Amino acid sequence: MSLALFSCLAVMIVLATIGSSIPLSMIVAAIVYLAVKGQDMGLAAEQIIQGLYDSFVILAIPLFIVAANFMNAGTISDRLNVFCLAIVGRLKGGMGHVNVLNSLVFAGMSGSAVADVVGMGKMSIDMMVKNNRYPLGYAAAITAATAVVGPIIPPSIPMVLYSIVSDASIGYLFLGGVLPGLIMCAAMMLLNTYMAHRMNVPLEEPIPLREIPAVTARAFPALLMPIILMVGIYGGATTPTEAAAIAAAYAFLVAVFLYRALNFSNIRAVMHDSVKSSASVGLIIGSALIFNYIVATENIPAQVQQLMKGVEISPVVFLLLLNLLFLVLGCLLDASTIILVIIPVFIPTAKALGIDLVHFGVVAVVNCMIGLITPPYGVLLFVINAITGVPMKLLIHYIWPWIAVLIASLLVMILVPDTVLAIPKLFGYVPGR
Amino acid sequence: MNRLIQWARMIALDVAALMLGALFIVFLIQILSRYVFNAPALWTLEACLTLWLWVVFWGGAFVLQEKDHVRFDVLYVAVGRNLRRVFAIVSAVAIGAGMLAALPATWSYITFYQIKRSAVLGIRLDIVFSIYGIFAAMLVIRYFWRAFLVARGADPEALDKREISDGYHVQ
Repeated sequence: MSLALFSCLAVMIVLATIGSSIPLSMIVAAIVYLAVKGQDMGLAAEQIIQGLYDSFVILAIPLFIVAANFMNAGTISDRLNVFCLAIVGRLKGGMGHVNVLNSLVFAGMSGSAVADVVGMGKMSIDMMVKNNRYPLGYAAAITAATAVVGPIIPPSIPMVLYSIVSDASIGYLFLGGVLPGLIMCAAMMLLNTYMAHRMNVPLEEPIPLREIPAVTARAFPALLMPIILMVGIYGGATTPTEAAAIAAAYAFLVAVFLYRALNFSNIRAVMHDSVKSSASVGLIIGSALIFNYIVATENIPAQVQQLMKGVEISPVVFLLLLNLLFLVLGCLLDASTIILVIIPVFIPTAKALGIDLVHFGVVAVVNCMIGLITPPYGVLLFVINAITGVPMKLLIHYIWPWIAVLIASLLVMILVPDTVLAIPKLFGYVPGR
Repeated sequence: MNRLIQWARMIALDVAALMLGALFIVFLIQILSRYVFNAPALWTLEACLTLWLWVVFWGGAFVLQEKDHVRFDVLYVAVGRNLRRVFAIVSAVAIGAGMLAALPATWSYITFYQIKRSAVLGIRLDIVFSIYGIFAAMLVIRYFWRAFLVARGADPEALDKREISDGYHVQ
């Protein structure tokens, strides 16, 4: 390892560990690298500016953020909730199933797990703990766990990030997430059924079947959103970035005109929120790009590849080990940092081992999203704690079985690539390119 | 002074919101021009990318506070008050110093582009890229000021202003 790289990593690790902003730490570490190497320190600016200014795909990110925030500001989540209640509320552990289905439907509209929890979390938890039917910790834990499918079912902001660093097609990545998302939901519903029997939760009063058409009609404009996205992207009519813009426009129109849930000051607050999220994600992307530039100059991906060649590792073992690494990192690091900084180091090796990059990407994104609920650093746990006041300790106590079923689903995706690739193949994807 | 800063921050946030709104609208114009009028506009993509660049660095310079940044704070929240202040000072000084050290080179990188203009709109690129320079300079000022305040005894967390909209980082 060169002195420059060593100083760069040392600065990065020390600053990040003591709680500095991660993107700013990366920029400073990159400046240190350039200084020690005696290179022009303006390179840092160049890499960051060009990285953000040159990519068309990147524009999907602020647009998806705006779309998600508009949907949360309207009454869309209430309407979806009633719809889901009518469909699965009658089953054993009904409210838990409603929670899963809520997240599944919401996932089809937003590309963000945090948006799921912000939009649905408080309402779902309140409903479950009403009349003491479910323990508060259980309700909070299932809400956090189900939100994990948000960025797995398309659209997905993390998959856009992955496609920026890997050049894999966003369209196929989105499709690749469909089946894994459904598998995760099925696994969570199974766990919920088991837990409901064990806790002996009473059955809910079922919503009469004849009311279902009315309830569906009320939720229809919201349910239409995933269809618009899918038809737009896979009908070949729009690029995913354009679909993001259409989604945002649609969410805006529905919230303002149809549901009449937004006024000027709401809109202003939504835009303020979106600015903060966009700027903070933008900085992470920019600083990750300069970091990747350093990693590439130092030839690290090639060295990793050499190392792997030396130990003659099989693709499956490689994937398993890598996923173990991501899970451990996910307990400590932010998902976007892992996707933008750590994953690119391993992409050349994955390619050399013949692992399909869409399969690799979807598995990696699922893994990083599980990282959102693994303590001690789990963003979804923090958000639930912040918006509902459920104590962190209680939440962590109940979260383990959910982490376990999600990891089991992840394992299936790793071992059976077709769980990811079957749907992209249907749409003409040829794996292994 | 404090109220003045607070007021300026609100203006900065509104300006950023307008830029993001403009990005959104321009993007819709692009889609309309392409699919509805069948005459793809060329200026829209460039305008969107320029606005995006400005939203990110304008936001980074004037809007984002410590709590809005992606941070790893497991250790930070676990240590005692005094050590926390030491952490806050070290990190603020490191960020301020790093950005300051690169400032001259950053400046010359940006001004180098005064001879070039953007492809479609013909805006001078040094103007387009200047927002990064403003961002870098603002970070130097803000982080040295932060280090100074914490060193004088301020509680690092109390320096973040509470706002009506507390955005969560989107993943």
